[in-house]
Amino acid sequence: MTTETPTVHDPIDELLAAHFRPVPAEEGLTRRLLKRLHGDWDSGRFASGVTVEASECGVTQIRTGGRPARPSASRAAARLAERAREELLEYFTGRRSFFTVPVDLDSLRPFQRKVLALTHTIPFGETRSYSWIARGIGHPDAVRAVGTALGHNPLPFIVPCHRVLRSDGGLGGYALGLPAKSGLLGLERGTPVLEGCATTHIVCRVGCSAGHRMREDSRVIFASVTDAESVGYRSCKVCRPVDPSEP
Amino acid sequence: MKRIAGGDEQAFADLAGRYSPRLLALAWRLLGNRADAEDALQRSLLRLYRSAASYRPEWAVSTWLYRITTNVCVDEMRRRATHREEAAEEPRPQGSLFPGPAGPGGDAGTRLDLQRALLRVPREARILLALRYVDGLSYRELARVRGISVNTVKSQLARGKEILRVALPGGTR
Repeated sequence: MTTETPTVHDPIDELLAAHFRPVPAEEGLTRRLLKRLHGDWDSGRFASGVTVEASECGVTQIRTGGRPARPSASRAAARLAERAREELLEYFTGRRSFFTVPVDLDSLRPFQRKVLALTHTIPFGETRSYSWIARGIGHPDAVRAVGTALGHNPLPFIVPCHRVLRSDGGLGGYALGLPAKSGLLGLERGTPVLEGCATTHIVCRVGCSAGHRMREDSRVIFASVTDAESVGYRSCKVCRPVDPSEP
Repeated sequence: MKRIAGGDEQAFADLAGRYSPRLLALAWRLLGNRADAEDALQRSLLRLYRSAASYRPEWAVSTWLYRITTNVCVDEMRRRATHREEAAEEPRPQGSLFPGPAGPGGDAGTRLDLQRALLRVPREARILLALRYVDGLSYRELARVRGISVNTVKSQLARGKEILRVALPGGTR
């Protein structure tokens, strides 16, 4: 590391060097850091108690707190349940930003099915309001019923009911407790979505099976696929990352 | 780093104290306001602590820290680009962006112009400029932090500065 600024020979260099001068950190930063280190919601502990049930079409039930899952009816269902469990573990440890397992909402009543199907489309790390869901399913006045349907979500995390908040930004409710809801939102805030591998120069969605083999010191985060391509990376052919369309 | 991996909180606090001013400057310039920058800095340092076991000694500690902090800031930039209107994505020039007395960079007006001009520089080049000028990282270190080749670093920096030259009023050639 060189501590001196680059040789000043150009007005632009001077300007930039002044612009990027170090800023004294606030008092007590490290004290707060250490507090945060011990106080953060522990998603890992949460993950260890998660059990999954699946049909041959998709995941049907996710339970927390170590409650045992009913045995799977077939090998295909058992494989899906196992895959969901693995994806959930990765999600809880900040190594997955999307789920590939299908969900099976067939046993639910039509209203709840519609609510959960729309909730399932809310992107990772984003939030929507209860009234957004109510409008989206064509029942703009049914905001409370939407809350109730989400409160009985059999597939928490994969159908991300924790991403639904009150219109005023308040957390609203959560069947697994509000600390878990804010913990999950914090977890998603701290989990990147696009990562490149410095060795292969391939950019993947976080959680892609190809990315699992990546060494920790090869992980480079990008803000968009376009950015990654501008410095010589190419998109992964397995997970096919794409940029969201412009607002 | 070995002590940090072993759970030595004092070693972690020392390292955090030593690098915070430079890392905070980096995060502030990339994210545009102090509150987001401090949050990003805290998240970066926590990440450093928790992933200390994956640190490889062939990395200079500072390069490792810049990699982690830049990764956190870049993801925050992505979040802004997707969640808000495009206009609100980038840091808006504010007087408070420039703490301290006017340095060799000239008066506040000139620096405001620079802030605006920097917004025209594509994100990857802007990130490299920030890393380059916050701590004078070498081309090789920059390449390592962003996982790109030294040639890409050079061309991106040159392109970024060229855009600044054109965008800055009065010409600074």
